[in-house]
Amino acid sequence: MITFTKVSKKYADLSPALQEVTIKIPTGDFVSIVGQSGAGKSTMLKLLSAEEKPTQGNIVIDGWDITKIKNWQVPYLRRQIGVVFQDFKLLPKRTAFENIAFAMEVGGAQPKEIRTSVSQILKLVNLTDKAHTYPNEMSGGERQRVSIARALAYKPQILLADEPTGNLDALNSWDIVQLLMKINRLGTTVLLATHNDDIVNALKKRVITLNQGKIISDQQAGTYKL
Amino acid sequence: MIGISFFRVIRNAFRNFRRNVWLSIATTLIMTLTLCIILFLYTVNVLGREFLRNVEQKVDIAVTFKDTTQLSEINTIQKDIAARSDVQNTRIVTSDEALAEYRKRHADNPYIEEALKELNSNPLPNSMYIVAKDPQFYENITSSLRSNQYEEYIEKINFQDTKIIIEKMIRIMNIIKTAAIIATGIFGLLVILIMFNTIRLAIYSFREEIDIMRLVGASRWYIQGPFLMESVLVALISVSIATTILYVSLNTMAKNVNLFVFTGQNTNFDIYQYAVSHWIQIIGLQLVAAISLAVLSSYVAIRRYLR
Ligand SMILES: Nc1ncnc2c1ncn2[C@@H]1O[C@H](COP(=O)(O)OP(=O)(O)OP(=O)(O)O)[C@@H](O)[C@H]1O
Ligand SMILES: [Mg+2]
Repeated sequence: MITFTKVSKKYADLSPALQEVTIKIPTGDFVSIVGQSGAGKSTMLKLLSAEEKPTQGNIVIDGWDITKIKNWQVPYLRRQIGVVFQDFKLLPKRTAFENIAFAMEVGGAQPKEIRTSVSQILKLVNLTDKAHTYPNEMSGGERQRVSIARALAYKPQILLADEPTGNLDALNSWDIVQLLMKINRLGTTVLLATHNDDIVNALKKRVITLNQGKIISDQQAGTYKL
Repeated sequence: MIGISFFRVIRNAFRNFRRNVWLSIATTLIMTLTLCIILFLYTVNVLGREFLRNVEQKVDIAVTFKDTTQLSEINTIQKDIAARSDVQNTRIVTSDEALAEYRKRHADNPYIEEALKELNSNPLPNSMYIVAKDPQFYENITSSLRSNQYEEYIEKINFQDTKIIIEKMIRIMNIIKTAAIIATGIFGLLVILIMFNTIRLAIYSFREEIDIMRLVGASRWYIQGPFLMESVLVALISVSIATTILYVSLNTMAKNVNLFVFTGQNTNFDIYQYAVSHWIQIIGLQLVAAISLAVLSSYVAIRRYLR
């Protein structure tokens, strides 16, 4: 369960990126976050991964108030939250397998554990045959799948996807969304920030709409409307 | 868990070293040079200390008595002097003893014996050697010997020679020490600058990896450790090279150095043996110097560029 209680975020002296946002997201939910550019979608996700700290309000994840999180605790939070971005953020000199293994090494996993886990995750994202391929030899969709696979390395409870389909064509976008749905069905809470109305409408899942940092609508089985 | 992470941090430290290998080598060389200067300073210190110890031990006031002075008079003077609180000991060498000693020292030289035989009388005077409790007392002892009281018995008083040697040696040593300390300072600063830039460049080369490490929840130690350890690695390599240089050069030069510094002195001090028996001190000194320089500069670079 994720709860935002009256969360506001102000960068520097600008007008607030988020204003008094209060929401509850039960474990296992699939939530799309939509809104115009600058509405505060990325800010919401960054607060969850402790990349940014809220100016006001509280954010609690499974009873853990991460609002006043200490710097040394951030890594432990990050290992419970997978993140995926529009630009993949893969290491170009490492193969798909190595990119995923890299994330597991960081957490202190044993080599044997890494080998079995990475193979399993690659199978989950349907990339077993591309295990030893470098990112620049892969399509955008494949790269995003590697990036999702990496986010899953610690078997996180929450997956944050910030416009994961922003760089992909319609077909590849659909692949990615199907994959996110599959991960969600396996029990992971998924938060998807996106501009893609077709996808949001087809998903028929919960939709939170932001406008200038405020929630203007929050619907179960919602649609994309701006 | 700790084990494998530590292993990975060390592995990444080696990887950092290799990524900018030429810069790493340059850093290692400068650090080695700095350590060599420190070791030079150390060696000069040891040699100087040993030299002074020898000279100071040997320093004595040599009082040469007039031929007219009787042994009984000499004994009285000796009693007077030996009673002084600043005198360690006194020793009388009669003219006969002096001659015997002279003969012994030149036993292998037949011409000396010939020459002595040609003389009817013993050319060597009676003399007395005085050792002070501390070199600084010689001045006082000498001046009291020069007083009227002893004037009719004493031919001359020798002591200035060694004093000049001591002063000269202290002066030379101070010059060498000052120069070496300044050089250590300059090179130390150079080490810090170059090391700082090496680590900065390493951080820059790995910024992509670092970003992703943060993203996937790497601990601070996992991210920063390799850069800190890279600098420690450079320090350890430098210490090994400098230590090798020290022992190899002392081993080849020890004979000459000992001859040069201790000629005429009654000592079997050997600088190489000294260095061998003081290896803990020598390596410890270097480790402290090298690791503090390394950690200081990499720490600053990490604080600045890896926040
Ligand atoms: N690091 C930052 N420093 C200052 N202002 C920022 C920063 N990040 C975001 N902002 C501002 O906060 C507001 C919300 O930004 P945010 O990135 O959350 O929007 P978004 O909904 O993700 O937009 P987009 O759809 O373009 O990605 C914007 O006005 C933006 O300019
Ligand atoms: Mg955004």
